[in-house]
Amino acid sequence: MKKLNVLFLVSLLVLFALTGFSKETIKVISSDDFAAFRREVIPEFEKLYPDIEVELTSVGYNQLYQKEVTSLIANPKAYDVIDVDCIWTPEFVTLGLLEQIDDRLTPEMKEEIIPSVMTILQYGGKTYGLPMFDDVLFFYYNEKMLEEAGLSEPPTTYDEFVSFSKTIMDKGLAKYGSVWGWAQAEGLICYYTQLIGAFGGKFFDENGYPAFNSGGGLEALKWMVDSIYEYGVVDPSSITSDDRALLHGVANGDVPFGFDWSFAWTIFNDPEQSTQVGNIKVGLCPTGKDGIVSNTSSGSMGFAITKQSEHKDAAWKFISFLASKEMQKQQAIDYGAMPVVESLYSDPEILELHPEFGPMLSQLSYVTDRPSLVSYNEVSRILQIYIQRALTKDMEPKEALDAAAKEIVDLLKEYGEIN
Amino acid sequence: MKKKNMTRWAMIIPATVVLAFVLLYPIGNTIWLSFRREHLLRPTMNAFVGFQNYSYILQSSDFLQSLKVTAYFTGVSVFIEFVIGLFTAILLNQDFKMKAFLRVLVVLPWAIPTVANGVMWQWIFDTNYGALNGLLSQLGLISEYVNWLGTPFGALNSVIIADIWKNCWFFTIVLLGALQAIPKNYYEAAYVDGAGFWKKLFKVTLPLLKPAIAISLVLRISEAFKAFDIIYIMTKGGPANGTQVLSYYVYHTAFESLRMGRGAAISTVVTALILIIAIIFTNVLMREEVDLSA
Repeated sequence: MKKLNVLFLVSLLVLFALTGFSKETIKVISSDDFAAFRREVIPEFEKLYPDIEVELTSVGYNQLYQKEVTSLIANPKAYDVIDVDCIWTPEFVTLGLLEQIDDRLTPEMKEEIIPSVMTILQYGGKTYGLPMFDDVLFFYYNEKMLEEAGLSEPPTTYDEFVSFSKTIMDKGLAKYGSVWGWAQAEGLICYYTQLIGAFGGKFFDENGYPAFNSGGGLEALKWMVDSIYEYGVVDPSSITSDDRALLHGVANGDVPFGFDWSFAWTIFNDPEQSTQVGNIKVGLCPTGKDGIVSNTSSGSMGFAITKQSEHKDAAWKFISFLASKEMQKQQAIDYGAMPVVESLYSDPEILELHPEFGPMLSQLSYVTDRPSLVSYNEVSRILQIYIQRALTKDMEPKEALDAAAKEIVDLLKEYGEIN
Repeated sequence: MKKKNMTRWAMIIPATVVLAFVLLYPIGNTIWLSFRREHLLRPTMNAFVGFQNYSYILQSSDFLQSLKVTAYFTGVSVFIEFVIGLFTAILLNQDFKMKAFLRVLVVLPWAIPTVANGVMWQWIFDTNYGALNGLLSQLGLISEYVNWLGTPFGALNSVIIADIWKNCWFFTIVLLGALQAIPKNYYEAAYVDGAGFWKKLFKVTLPLLKPAIAISLVLRISEAFKAFDIIYIMTKGGPANGTQVLSYYVYHTAFESLRMGRGAAISTVVTALILIIAIIFTNVLMREEVDLSA
């Protein structure tokens, strides 16, 4: 009798253990920006797949790269799904951190997801993840201030950008024309990319050597320095603000112009965070050169499955769930994120709630990507420091960019990326 | 006798083993790493390279710049902290009504976590919404808002002010403790001999405080020399690397660029520098006997 009891207990324990273990847990790391949405829909996903449990960690964008790389190198199984910025794809693929997913792509995905957004997670002709939103720096302007200053249209060139700023400042409507996120961080390179393309420059030549220290690249930096010291239309605090901090200036009505990602729209129109609800509109980013209509910088991100993950199927279910049309629609409506599914741009429900998507969509035709390099992160850091040296008047723009180019050549040679 | 010895050893061993794991191994490993090229993102390039990391650092303008920034940060902040700390300690050593309350009050800034302190000062120095610009412009001292953190040198001085506000009280606390141990009759004797405040300070107080001064200075200097958190919170080393102290340079090299070997070499150099400073200070300030006859 006793024996039977023991046997019963043991089998009960085993049963418990089995049911406990049969639930798969996938670990996901995400940038803070869209973590709220992702956290919100996890219960829906878990209802759909009751045997999968999602554990989501989120950190600020500026800590994300380091957190992912160090965690995965220390323990390749630390995460099953990681958030990948478009500029990290070459490096992560070269390091063997990402699982190739070409075979998993369904025909619907290939048809629905915008091809130019799909490229952010492609390298060497192969696909390593699914994009989660299509984002670029958008030009936000305060329509009410423009009207009060007697201006009917937003500026289309950087010369107009300066003169319109002056008009608005002279009328006492704003302290400065604009505030930018030029602090020593990745955001600075996004803004520089926006300007380098608008002034007709490029980062590297065909042989992979730096080309930003002359032509459009140099003009872009000169314009940045002049806009602060010469024209006095850019708030000098731009040197210490990032793309999150500058939101205050626009939302408070301190400046009429600002460039930021799509999530800014929600903040500008949230009465708790903004005094300018309804006044902020989206226009095409200005140009700095004849023949160029507009230019901005891309900043889309996506989810990828890690190579050493033991739950690849479950991880795939999760990321394809988030990239699905339904979830992309919900993300667009609730958080103002530009969807990766093409047909959603004509969805009447979205367009009614987000009238800004119209002008935003036209911006997507004028985009420059940041350079695609295996050692992108170190190259970016060198550029950040020298651009800042020029912005703080520690160096002349030409001198700073030449010095940056020299350091970048040394670095790329050390890694064998150029000869 | 022998048995007693055995017991002694047996009692020391656990602590020694723990220390070996948490101190000797990491230090030894850091020094070993500093002689290697150890790049987390380029594992194929890892190799033993001898002194190459050290020669790179010593020739690098980044290192020299960081060393200058660190020296300025340490020198200015610790000196001002010491002066404020000494005089507040003397003040709080007097007999007056609010003494106990004020003694508690000075501990407060020192007890605030550095991260919270950094965020607080970042907002105080904020160009458009900061309290400092608000105060100065209301007093009519500035007509336009100043971007305190916007120039390399301005940012460095702003970080120093934040550091002083938090850490000068460390000197107050340590020196106040030491002051209370000085017998009152020394001062009475000096008073009878006609010594004023400054004479008493230089002839009685300071000589008797020497050991406490030496210890607190060494502690603060080595702490300031490796300051990291306040920089990380307030400026992230910017603008234009103007506030990149050595610890931040180590952090950037090892954990952002993921060049572990080079990072280990810089931290070894930093440790050596702190060690040298500590040895000099303890020798100069603590060796001599206190002589009150002069």
